[in-house]
Amino acid sequence: MVRLCMLLALTFWLNVPLQANDLYLGAATADISPKLPVALMGQFHMRIAETADTPLYAGIVAIESRDGQTGLDTAVFVSCDLVYISARLRQELRDEVAKRIPGFNVNKIIVSATHTHTAPVLEDDLEESSFIYPIPEEGVTKVKDYRALFVRSVADGIEDAWANRSKGSVTWGMERAAVGYNRRTVYKDGTSVMYGNTNKDEFQNLEGYEDHDMNALFFWNEADELLAMSVDVACPAQEFEHKTTVNADYWHPVREKLKSRFGQKVSVLGWIGAAGDQSPHSMYRKAGLARMQELAQKTRMDDIAERIIRAVENTYEIVKNDRHSNVVFHHEMENLELPMRIITKEEYIESEKVVKDCQEQIAVDPNKATLLYAKMTWFGDVLKRYKAQQKNPEATYSSEIHVLRIGDAAIATNQFELFTDYGIRIQARSKALQTFVVQLAGPGTYLPTEKAIAGGGYSAVCQSNVVGAEGGQVLVDRTLAIIDRFWDEENAVRLKKKL
Amino acid sequence: MIFLKHQFFTLLFLSVISFQGYTQSENEDNLKVGWSTADITPDMPVLVAGQFHARLSEGVMDPVTATILALESGEGTNSEKTIWISCDLVGISDGMRATANLRDEIRNRVIKAIPSILPEQIIVNATHTHAAPYVASTASVEDIYGVSLEQMADGKPAMSPSDYIPFAADKIAEGVISAWGKRKPGGMSLGLGHAVVGLNRLQALKHGKSRMYGNTNSPEFSHIEGYEDHSLNLMYFWDINKQLTGIIINIASPSQVSEHSYELSADFWHDTKVALRKSLGDSVYVLAQASSAGDQSPHVMVGSKAEERMQKLLGFAEEGTGRGSNAHRKYIAKQIVDEVTDLFPVMKANIDWQPEFKHEMKLVPLSRRLLSEEDVAEATKEAKTWQAEYDKLKAEVRDNPAMIETPRWYKDITISYSKLRRGLVVSERYELEKVQPKMPIEVHVVRIGDAVFATNPFELYLDYGMQMKAQSPAIQTFIVQLTGSGSYLPTKRSIEGGAYGAVPASTLMGPKGGDELVEETLSIINTMW
Repeated sequence: MVRLCMLLALTFWLNVPLQANDLYLGAATADISPKLPVALMGQFHMRIAETADTPLYAGIVAIESRDGQTGLDTAVFVSCDLVYISARLRQELRDEVAKRIPGFNVNKIIVSATHTHTAPVLEDDLEESSFIYPIPEEGVTKVKDYRALFVRSVADGIEDAWANRSKGSVTWGMERAAVGYNRRTVYKDGTSVMYGNTNKDEFQNLEGYEDHDMNALFFWNEADELLAMSVDVACPAQEFEHKTTVNADYWHPVREKLKSRFGQKVSVLGWIGAAGDQSPHSMYRKAGLARMQELAQKTRMDDIAERIIRAVENTYEIVKNDRHSNVVFHHEMENLELPMRIITKEEYIESEKVVKDCQEQIAVDPNKATLLYAKMTWFGDVLKRYKAQQKNPEATYSSEIHVLRIGDAAIATNQFELFTDYGIRIQARSKALQTFVVQLAGPGTYLPTEKAIAGGGYSAVCQSNVVGAEGGQVLVDRTLAIIDRFWDEENAVRLKKKL
Repeated sequence: MIFLKHQFFTLLFLSVISFQGYTQSENEDNLKVGWSTADITPDMPVLVAGQFHARLSEGVMDPVTATILALESGEGTNSEKTIWISCDLVGISDGMRATANLRDEIRNRVIKAIPSILPEQIIVNATHTHAAPYVASTASVEDIYGVSLEQMADGKPAMSPSDYIPFAADKIAEGVISAWGKRKPGGMSLGLGHAVVGLNRLQALKHGKSRMYGNTNSPEFSHIEGYEDHSLNLMYFWDINKQLTGIIINIASPSQVSEHSYELSADFWHDTKVALRKSLGDSVYVLAQASSAGDQSPHVMVGSKAEERMQKLLGFAEEGTGRGSNAHRKYIAKQIVDEVTDLFPVMKANIDWQPEFKHEMKLVPLSRRLLSEEDVAEATKEAKTWQAEYDKLKAEVRDNPAMIETPRWYKDITISYSKLRRGLVVSERYELEKVQPKMPIEVHVVRIGDAVFATNPFELYLDYGMQMKAQSPAIQTFIVQLTGSGSYLPTKRSIEGGAYGAVPASTLMGPKGGDELVEETLSIINTMW
């Protein structure tokens, strides 16, 4: 009787197909290079790029699981050479795809950014963003025009990948590659500084961990041709963050080399793992690294690219014969309501002072707007948030996450520059054999840890964070709950079979 | 024509440089390099060091060795000399923690055979394999573990630590004499790579406390307590024909994959040496050093299932995969060998035949850890608990002598005795701190070219090493831990976390001593630049 009750209960809540299913896969690459000149996103001062060092691309993979001819679930991954993905850009893309592929659930489109700091500005509306540049009205590509170009090109790519999907196979693998470095220096007085000098007596340690796992997914079509690969590195692509030219950063040499090795048609999706406190910039042993680069006649960019390429090639060689064409596939999108970081009165007063100072300096010398305007809007957002908080102290921040299961791998996305510790928590507690955490699948703001907030410094101050450590834990817990369910369902099926 | 003229002078210049490179390699300022290895594997069972419980060795998985590098610059008695000895041992007893002193046993034998070498020119480091003979004490095994060696061995032949130490010292000293005799002009090249081997093993929990190892797959897990250092500091040595003779490999990880083995083993350094010799030649020597890595281990804290699958797909399944497996050792070896061989061409093209060479040893007084009465009370209380447990287990053996027929019957009883002793030392240290607040330790600083080596006898938490590396004027700084008997030297953060490794019983020094070590080491390094 007890067994029967358990069986009935399980049958009741099992509403997702649980058996392994065929995967239909399609891939494409969209050119998202802007028309020049274009304003670049990523620094407080405005930069106008007159030239492009490299193209910018979006790598696309479309996945559909099927039971016979019945479509069960879908996902479209779009990885972009951009600094982040604004909410408006994502919505405009989804709207366009909805027009082109009737009936397609566009909420299954996951758009993520590599965080290159040498790609176009995506926002120009102060109501929607806290970081606005004074882009000239004439002579520079308009933000809305770039978004239109992006949407057109990526929608073409999605349409193409979706239309050409065919029965395929997939596998996953990992290798270790030391690419990202923790960039937050802790001093003996307990304060933290992003990119703080480590060559001083007061230096105590680097604040957090580094995640040197490089996770990769490989996708093949029915003819066993490699269609695409997604490579997840816990390091934002910002080696060239101060350039004033368009540049896809380290993903450009990585992509070029991987295409020459695996085929020009292979789509390479660059994913960034939880890496809000990481960067490609070395924090110490700099002289040794510089010397090695000089001796080998390589740049740091070469070094980064070679590490990733070697890891991908090693991984591929190890896992290429362990392909799966019939796997469990689930995809769930959820809008989380995260508690917002509370702005203190002191933070409000300090931000107000900075805003006034910027306003005064710009009033005296309008040329200073290129240096100070974004800073003014960044601090100005704190004032808006503080006022909103006075009206509604319990306000939450809505944040889209996606959690997928592909065979033994889980993929969990979030919109933030997520501090590595959160990614580690998700990976440590995940039931998947291998867990990919993908950040910047949306509007990126830093999501720091409690430890980082206590240390302070850029990326952990209130100006940098809409959501604080409390929200970070909610994100972790909810992501894990969905992953758990994907695996618990499998266990339930096993149990059901046993009963 | 102008181009040709330039080409001619460039070629002439390069020829002179190249010619000088070879001729300088023959003159008295040249670096002379000698290598050897000593097999220090005993030919009968010994105690294996590294766990609370005693382990009587049950065979040999692979040999435990000492690798010796003899360096000399200049001629005669005033020449600069360093004898570097890397041992597949858990630590190098040096009189700091007990009366045993393997380091001095080696030194005494060497200086007797080669009077021109001074004791302070000999550095001995351990790789921290937990599957090597016990050398920490010359006391009777019963005093060390609470059970006699005869009982453990059930009357069969076995070698006590007090016999093994001179055995190893003899072999190592012979190796030094051989390396010294074989030294020849050579050059070195300095390399820096990356290999993700050492992983931080301290888990910070949400309530503020930390633990060593444990399960990260738990809601109470917050983050990994500290940092990791995945740099691979390398020094390649060449003969005058530009043939590789050996490599120093310095990595921030102890070699303790096989840490529970009852078979003797050099751990992942064995697999690394085998793989490197396969790639670079059978005659190549590998001198292994552990950089500051007190809070590190090779054990995977997060993502172990994914790595184990990769080990299986690599074809290592037959040797066992996952934690503590030979597959894991091979996986580590692959990471190191890939990087060493990748850098090889660049290293061969950039040999320094006359590197600046200086070696200074200083006895640095460091503050002992200041313990509180509460620390003593807590440790004493624990000791009493373990005393009771030990007495109970001992009585069980007395009442039931047939127990010793069971393999490894002595495990629990030796754990209780080790923990009893561990509790008692806290009180001893508390009293000692009052009368001898400082404890002198040996620090060696060796400059070779643009690189510097800085030693310490501890299991030094990584942050201290990073502080030294960040502030050192050298292009590359090799921190070498465990050039002595080793006790953990934790950070303030780690003491607050309270994990094993940071508790009073695990430590001689605390953060004050750590800060002093960093400061004193840097001040010696700075005198060399």
